[in-house]
Amino acid sequence: MPNVFAVPVFFICFRECLETSIIVSVLLAFLKQTLGPEQDATVHKRLVRQVWYGVGAGVFICLIICAGVIGTFYTAGRNSFESAENVWEGVFAILASVIITLMGAALLRVSKLQDKWRLKIAKVLEQKDSKLPIKGKLKKWTEKYAMFILPFITVLREGIEAVLFIAGVGLGLPATSFPLAVLCGLGAGALIGYLIYKGGNKTSLQIFLVISTCFLYLVAAGLFSKGVWSLEQNAYVKLAGEGAAEAGAGPGSYDIRKSVWHVNCCSPLENGDGGWGIFNSLFGWQNSATYGSVISYNLYWLAVIVGFVFLGWKEGKAGATPVAEAESDASSGHAEHAGKKTSTEGVVVGTAVKEVK
Amino acid sequence: MVLSLSTFLLPISLLASIAQCATVTYDFDIAWTYANPDGQQTRPIQGINGQWPIPPITVTKGDQLIVNVKNSLGNESTSLHFHGLYQNGTTHMDGPVGVSQCSIPPGGSFTYNFTVDQPGTYWYHSHEHGQYPDGLRGALIVHDPKDPHKDLYDEEIVLTLSDWYHDLMTNLLKDFISIANPSGAEPVPQAALMNDTQNLTVKIEPGKTYLFRIINMGAFAAQYVWFEDHTMRVVEVDGIYTEPMEANMLYLTAAQRYSVLVTAKNDSNSNFAFVGSMDQDLFDVIPAGLNSNVTGWLVYDDKKDKPAAKEIEAFEPFDDFNLVPYDKEGLYDKVDQSITLDLKMDNLNDGANYAFFNDITYVSPKVPTLYSVLSTGSNATNPAIYGSNTNSFVLGHNEVVEIILNNDDAGKHPFHLHGHAFQVVTRSDEAAGFFDPANTTTPLPATPMRRDTILVRPNGYIVLRFRSDNPGVWLFHCHIEWHVASGLIATMIESPLDLQRQLSDKIPQDHWKVCQDANKPTKGNAAGNTVDYLDLTGENKSPGKLPAGFTARGIVALVFSCLAAFLGMGVIAWYGMKPIKTKTG
Repeated sequence: MPNVFAVPVFFICFRECLETSIIVSVLLAFLKQTLGPEQDATVHKRLVRQVWYGVGAGVFICLIICAGVIGTFYTAGRNSFESAENVWEGVFAILASVIITLMGAALLRVSKLQDKWRLKIAKVLEQKDSKLPIKGKLKKWTEKYAMFILPFITVLREGIEAVLFIAGVGLGLPATSFPLAVLCGLGAGALIGYLIYKGGNKTSLQIFLVISTCFLYLVAAGLFSKGVWSLEQNAYVKLAGEGAAEAGAGPGSYDIRKSVWHVNCCSPLENGDGGWGIFNSLFGWQNSATYGSVISYNLYWLAVIVGFVFLGWKEGKAGATPVAEAESDASSGHAEHAGKKTSTEGVVVGTAVKEVK
Repeated sequence: MVLSLSTFLLPISLLASIAQCATVTYDFDIAWTYANPDGQQTRPIQGINGQWPIPPITVTKGDQLIVNVKNSLGNESTSLHFHGLYQNGTTHMDGPVGVSQCSIPPGGSFTYNFTVDQPGTYWYHSHEHGQYPDGLRGALIVHDPKDPHKDLYDEEIVLTLSDWYHDLMTNLLKDFISIANPSGAEPVPQAALMNDTQNLTVKIEPGKTYLFRIINMGAFAAQYVWFEDHTMRVVEVDGIYTEPMEANMLYLTAAQRYSVLVTAKNDSNSNFAFVGSMDQDLFDVIPAGLNSNVTGWLVYDDKKDKPAAKEIEAFEPFDDFNLVPYDKEGLYDKVDQSITLDLKMDNLNDGANYAFFNDITYVSPKVPTLYSVLSTGSNATNPAIYGSNTNSFVLGHNEVVEIILNNDDAGKHPFHLHGHAFQVVTRSDEAAGFFDPANTTTPLPATPMRRDTILVRPNGYIVLRFRSDNPGVWLFHCHIEWHVASGLIATMIESPLDLQRQLSDKIPQDHWKVCQDANKPTKGNAAGNTVDYLDLTGENKSPGKLPAGFTARGIVALVFSCLAAFLGMGVIAWYGMKPIKTKTG
């Protein structure tokens, strides 16, 4: 399974695609509400088309960048990474774990995300009215194609973010593990985005998000532990040389001084132990656990627990004294203003104030 | 009258033969010196009387040999073993440290004194922890006035072969048995030597026949040996005369010896190379620039050039299994005691790689095994008292003992038995698996080859037999010095009660003294317990076995990890399902 499905890649695609689809859905909802078909069918149609063109163009450019990055990586950089495989695996696993962890929290607050984008879009649209120092033609052009530029820029931004993350996370992974993970991630992201747009059952969506986040954090914990393991293994291979590799999964393949457990079976590295490979990429299973990998796994969860408890506590506090917090924000003026503007849509955006940078 | 004459003559002939048996004395002051035998690097070497190469010991069959050893190394203890000599009645002179003596500490002295009653080609070397490759090994030749082949040759030439390391054994051993070497890859030598040099020249006269006594006194590498355009006739193997047998190429493992007849050409038109080539199969990696060959020349004419050794297409050595002993001693077909030794390599709890017989890696006992035999009375017949890490077997007196050795390792191993030459009854090809008596179709040889060091092939087996007619404590071990260090040793305790009768109060004072000087116990079981011989508390032991699978700490770690994960997911669920607070202002 690690050879055909890179779990971190899946989640990165999922997350970025979800964000993009939320933006698109917000835009579409906005269009629907401000100029519904009863108002001006042709203008609505044109603007909706603009949105989709923007998305399309963004995706296209992303694909080109993606191809370029992958091309350079697999032609130029591969060998230098392979010679120190364990180091790279370790570094990228930890990096991926951190990225997933940070992204994961946002997934639980997708509705917040929705608000955030609503706010941003409203701000941009509002600029039409304001006296910006943009001159004649350009201003006119941006006004005319705002519905194209917005999704185009966001898709491009999310897309490049995804490509860079995947490049970072995926360096240690075989090329074959990418396509399926990318497709599944994009599909899942789009699907959730669609569900959000449709505004279906919020509670079941939340349950779904909780479950998938739990899963995401299991993966991240595994990656973190595996990253530490890989770095330790690198140190051992440096010490023991060829002998460590020759030993396969048996005695001598691991550093007994740091071993917490070692079973001579179930190695995720051995071909044919496919099940253990899945176990490894999902939960970071190692047939040879070290003090480092076990302690880092537990510390990771400790950090996650502390982090979420803190977030929960902070949100509770923010709910109690929102005004003071909002005032201290540098962009609070804009936000308040935007809040008023978008409130015509009947959406409450207050909680999103803090998120605007 | 006739009768009275014969009774008169007999004592005279006896007297004559006694007079023939001389006492040969060597005074060896062992100390560090420097040498550069391969022309690549000068290194510290253990020499004797300031000399290296160390002198050969030469005696005649029946001589009493006295070697007075003084250890002037300063930083290492030592001992000497006389490889291949049966030491019948003098097992305490055999030399292995921790078996028949304590080591000779720096500054200590020790006398080896025994009668050599066997002819042939032998060698002597340190039998202290992995020491002899530092230079302390030399030839030991026992001449025989009654050599059955003596009319077949004109002159004899001793030719020693050796691998050669540039680093000291103490350093190499430290790296070898270490967590940094989990596969147990043996250090690869830097060069091969012939008579402790390279580019050796041997003066040859046309038409003469020479007896080459070839000895591999290397630490590790076996060597292929051949003489270009000359055929060899094997006449002795490890001290056993054989029916002459032609050979184009020999294969000598560490510690093996052959005597071969080489008849010179009748003209001196050119000189001929002879080559020793280390068996690279033994090496884990072949370093760039390693010359595993060493060349010498049969020099018929000094003025003619010495041609470089020719490339050969393949190594096709002579199979020693086919040799027939000159005395035609028949197969011991009735086995009284059979010992099976399964060889394997594995890692222990310190992460290093060790060698095992029947899952036990040898660790030297606190009390030399011989001294345990002599101090435990009737308990000496119980193998348990000799320690749980010594692979001890007690042999009855004058019985036919069989050793079945199954090599569960992918390497070649030369096995040596102290105190005996054994019949090589069966030797399998490579990868034959374990010996199965029910499944051996080939008939056993009627007059099997006898020798004291035998090669067992990778993942193959050997079956050896010998008569336990030599009371003593005899090691059976792999003669690759690395594997001696990693524990590939078994102890044969032969007729312990006879040994007690033979040697009680006969151990010389200097033997006890080296123990006393080093504060080593000399009585009791392997742990030095003189009260309860079965109580081995405090004995020397190997590092423990690697933990198998999940131990307590593994389970604790796994449970904690699972708990942490579930707790973490619980917190995520709590946060995720929390109603999002909204500002209602």
